[in-house]
Amino acid sequence: MGETGDDLRDLDNGLLVARAAEGDDDAFAVLVQRHSGPLLALAYHMLGNLSDAEEAVQDALISAWRRLPEFRGDASFRTWMYRIVTNRCLNVRRGRAPSVSLDAVSEPAAHDAGGEPARAVESAAAAAALTQALRDLHPAQRACWVLRELHGLSYEEIAHVVGESEQTVRGRLFRARRTLMKEMASWR
Amino acid sequence: MALDDPRATPPPDDPAAREADAARLIGDERLPCGRLVSHAWEQARAAGDQPDPHMDGCAFCRQAVEGLTALDSTTRTLWAERPSARTVADRVMRAVRAEVRLGRMLPLDDPTRELRIAETAAAKVLRRAADRVPGVRAASCRLTPAEGSTRVTIAMTLAVTLDRPLPGRAAEVRRAVAHAAEQELGLAVSTIDLRIASVLEPLKPTASDEPTLRDGSGR
Repeated sequence: MGETGDDLRDLDNGLLVARAAEGDDDAFAVLVQRHSGPLLALAYHMLGNLSDAEEAVQDALISAWRRLPEFRGDASFRTWMYRIVTNRCLNVRRGRAPSVSLDAVSEPAAHDAGGEPARAVESAAAAAALTQALRDLHPAQRACWVLRELHGLSYEEIAHVVGESEQTVRGRLFRARRTLMKEMASWR
Repeated sequence: MALDDPRATPPPDDPAAREADAARLIGDERLPCGRLVSHAWEQARAAGDQPDPHMDGCAFCRQAVEGLTALDSTTRTLWAERPSARTVADRVMRAVRAEVRLGRMLPLDDPTRELRIAETAAAKVLRRAADRVPGVRAASCRLTPAEGSTRVTIAMTLAVTLDRPLPGRAAEVRRAVAHAAEQELGLAVSTIDLRIASVLEPLKPTASDEPTLRDGSGR
């Protein structure tokens, strides 16, 4: 099966989706290989915890496999997947008491920084501060900020992913940036 | 980075009225000095290229952009946090492959009419046969059994390169698909209906690179 998967890698998403929607698991394997990295990063940035992120992405991809026959292709596969993962992350957070386990992630490399230049320590600490600030954002604002700043989606794509108007997305982004800048004002 | 999206703020020379509209649109705020917060951010980022006398002397603007540099550089650090997705991908594909999706069952060309093959399995073989024709990639492939017989209709959509005339290429695909259907699978084919649904760029040896996610234009 390895060899058959290899020669599908030059197919674009549209062809792979058409094939996978009809039950071609080799085609779906290429989509998974192509998209699971960015999706995991998205979930990780949203949830701040690797095992939760892995679970969210795994569930999202398996549910995508089942729902592919209904995928109409009016959005790109990537946007569709971002939407499924984002929703899952927002639901995970809603269903959970706040303040679980993110601290493990936001604890920076400061402890094992023996011999490292001070700047690296400082930038790790700044990253921890930003992670914490992100965690304190309203989840809907965080989603917009992460999709825009860490995943480079356009306003239009974000609007589609979060199911809101572009205006709403712009407003959320503005508020998220303003809050994060305030938090980062002491890190110059 | 993302804040420099031209739609986020009006050009600096725009009349105040236009600015006010934009402010309402994006939830921006006007500083006591008259500038929009987003404008101040933009100016601060462009400071190297176009010095801005207002900015230098305005306490409101300076306050509004505090933290911008730290946020930008720390954002790049978070950007680089990309955990490996290998475990996830493996787990997903194990689950997917274990979840049998047969689709409809098709009769093989067998006198006893007792042998059947799942449409998904047959379609996979036929798509591969089409893929082997240079400049052709199969997309959809549906198989429909005729009522009361073992004959099967094959409907396939294709993406092709345009470096050779289409009729000849379609004939080649038809031959390849018919051969695979009859010789590899043992189906009795009644018709093969081909549709060219999209045009392929000429295939390069390693054309698997997706547009990078960072530029925001990738599909």
